[in-house]
Amino acid sequence: MISLKPRSILLISAIFRVGLILVGEWQDTHMEVRYTDVDYLVFSDAASLMASGQSPYKRTTYRYSPLLAFLLIPNSFISRCWGKFLFSASDLFVGLFIRIILKQRKVPDDLCTYSMLIWLFNPFTFTIGTRGNCEPIVCAIILWIIICLINGNVVQAAFWYGLIVHFRIYPIIYALPIVIFLDPRFFRSGTKPLLSDWTSDPGKAREINSELIDKCVVCDVWKSTFTRSRILFGLISGTVFLLCTGFFFHLYGWEFLHEALLYHLTRTDARHNFSIYFYHIYLNYERELSVLEKLVSFLPQFIVQLVLILCFAKDLVFCFFVQTVAFVAFNKVITAQYFVWFFCVLPLILPWSNMKLKWKGLCCILLWMGAQTHWLLWGYLLEFKGKNVFLQLWMASLLFLAANTFILIVLIRHHNYGPVFRQHTDLKTTKTT
Amino acid sequence: MSSHPQLRLVDIMYVTRTLHFARNNHVLRMKFVLLVPSFEEFDILSFQVETNSDAGKFIMKSYFENYESLHDSSFEDFMAHQLSSSLCQGIPDNWNVGVRLSVRELSLIGEGSHRHLSSSIRLQIGAASIPKLPAHLCEVIVIQRLPLGVFADPFELQNPHKHKAFRDIAVFGDTNLELPSFQSNRSAVEFHIDAGSNILFMQNNGTEFNLLLPLHARYQPLDESGYSVVEIGEPDMLMRCSVEGKQHKQSCLFMSPPNEKAKSTSATVAWKIPAGMKAHAGFVSVITFVTALLSTLSIVYASMFWSGTNVSKT
Repeated sequence: MISLKPRSILLISAIFRVGLILVGEWQDTHMEVRYTDVDYLVFSDAASLMASGQSPYKRTTYRYSPLLAFLLIPNSFISRCWGKFLFSASDLFVGLFIRIILKQRKVPDDLCTYSMLIWLFNPFTFTIGTRGNCEPIVCAIILWIIICLINGNVVQAAFWYGLIVHFRIYPIIYALPIVIFLDPRFFRSGTKPLLSDWTSDPGKAREINSELIDKCVVCDVWKSTFTRSRILFGLISGTVFLLCTGFFFHLYGWEFLHEALLYHLTRTDARHNFSIYFYHIYLNYERELSVLEKLVSFLPQFIVQLVLILCFAKDLVFCFFVQTVAFVAFNKVITAQYFVWFFCVLPLILPWSNMKLKWKGLCCILLWMGAQTHWLLWGYLLEFKGKNVFLQLWMASLLFLAANTFILIVLIRHHNYGPVFRQHTDLKTTKTT
Repeated sequence: MSSHPQLRLVDIMYVTRTLHFARNNHVLRMKFVLLVPSFEEFDILSFQVETNSDAGKFIMKSYFENYESLHDSSFEDFMAHQLSSSLCQGIPDNWNVGVRLSVRELSLIGEGSHRHLSSSIRLQIGAASIPKLPAHLCEVIVIQRLPLGVFADPFELQNPHKHKAFRDIAVFGDTNLELPSFQSNRSAVEFHIDAGSNILFMQNNGTEFNLLLPLHARYQPLDESGYSVVEIGEPDMLMRCSVEGKQHKQSCLFMSPPNEKAKSTSATVAWKIPAGMKAHAGFVSVITFVTALLSTLSIVYASMFWSGTNVSKT
């Protein structure tokens, strides 16, 4: 298995996904339970509305950027599976990008291969694309942004970042770490930043770290906040975001703003989901929550994000991962598709983890899946058997948060923290205040 | 149960399947004499001619043109008065045609939040002797009013796989799939079923139509017992027969006079839906926030203790 070439892995994955899409189509027409996600039908309807010149927001529950409907317009005249093929192709791109990133950081071949397999053959991920969910596109773009950043290509990274925040709001949490990451010590005009290579020797990793820790990191961040690359990144991504938003606002008006943007920012779904807050929201739905209460529920999310950013921003990829896990875990609404957001970054951090698959790794996997399955069992009793198990379901979501927290802490503990970049040799001797 | 209705724009969604006849706007009413009540022999009302009605129009659509939301009293009022102009009316003497539409069975199939409402409707036509009756096409219209706690998914009803037998199905009223029941308004589903052509010419001992309507439960208002019971009543039924005129389609409606309907004796099905319990509100909120806090503190501690900034100290 280790000797599989990346090309063959991608080919097998592609064939497998095509097969799944076809099986899904068959299942949709012949069986009671549909394979295709309900969201896909929403996108397709919105796309056909757009194709006939109308607003995609005429379709209820369409809460995405018009870009998505635009991408799916061929659903109406090529094939209704066009979207699924597009998403599965993005899926494959994510696998490819994982390899590119790891290879650039000189990770050995076998680890690269395992990382690719973790994404391409993860049941969560291949079902997401083939069922018609748009998350693989988001993952592909995030990884492309990482590639641009590690190659020093700030302009392109900023462009894609502005676009992806317009498309799906959550990547806004990466704004601060990216800005911190664009450290002037590495990003100098004219030279490509030097990557610190993967090393299996924890001693060497500490050496690389100490080079930077000797200087006052916080002082540097404050002093050189407004550097060329940071300003460039902020301006370009902000402009792209505003242009996209402004353009679609001009086309579709307030409906676009409410459905695609504001809905996600103010969403409180009282229906049962993995989040610990669902029952609290349901029990208090009839009365308006006070400002203090809303603040209190936002505070854990805010604190965790801030601390994670300040501690891990230099190791950008790991920072993305821990931020996303925490973001999903503390969010007011958690659905299964959100897990893909950190699954795409997971293969990128595993080569730097001291944790072995046996038995710690396996335990973590089983714990996470166990907590999820436990929740799903109570959810099944509630939704499909009509039993009042709200309390038990809520406790299952508390357990799920506990499991997520535990696994996050374990991963942090076993991670070989290492900044992505190292300094150019001529800067080593320069003293900065 | 009090509701806090958010006034929502009427959301009309309907599926148009292949119709057997074209739709026209200016239609003269036909002269028919048959009326269709539930349970009883129908009455015969007088003739009337109406113009400007759409042959294929949904009854509920015209209801929502006049009313904001669905209430039983408004609906009954609508049926009694607004629709009276569309009724088939005419009383030639010696005319005794018996048409009866009745609900034979009404039940709720399934468990949990997603169930099917099964109704069995029987159409009976007694001895017919109407020599002057032209060739006609009839459809049975069934209107199922849904209570506040449940809804029908209009997109699910579009699935051609299951609903081949119906000429048209549409959902009217509040079709928001996501809001809990105390923030929603009622909805109704209207079915049009092809009853066949020239059915009034011959006696028919009973054609049965089976309707299977997929329904979903909304999140209910809080209840001490942990369950909320929602009652679904019988559907309202009408028959519409149309005739090909020289240039236009002509059609008219049959329904029973409102005072004939004994709603209180009609059968209803009860659906027990789980609901949150107010007693839980206090401790659930507290424990939720305490758990969030503990999680936060552990992650903060782990990050600060095990992040790269401390590595140099080892």
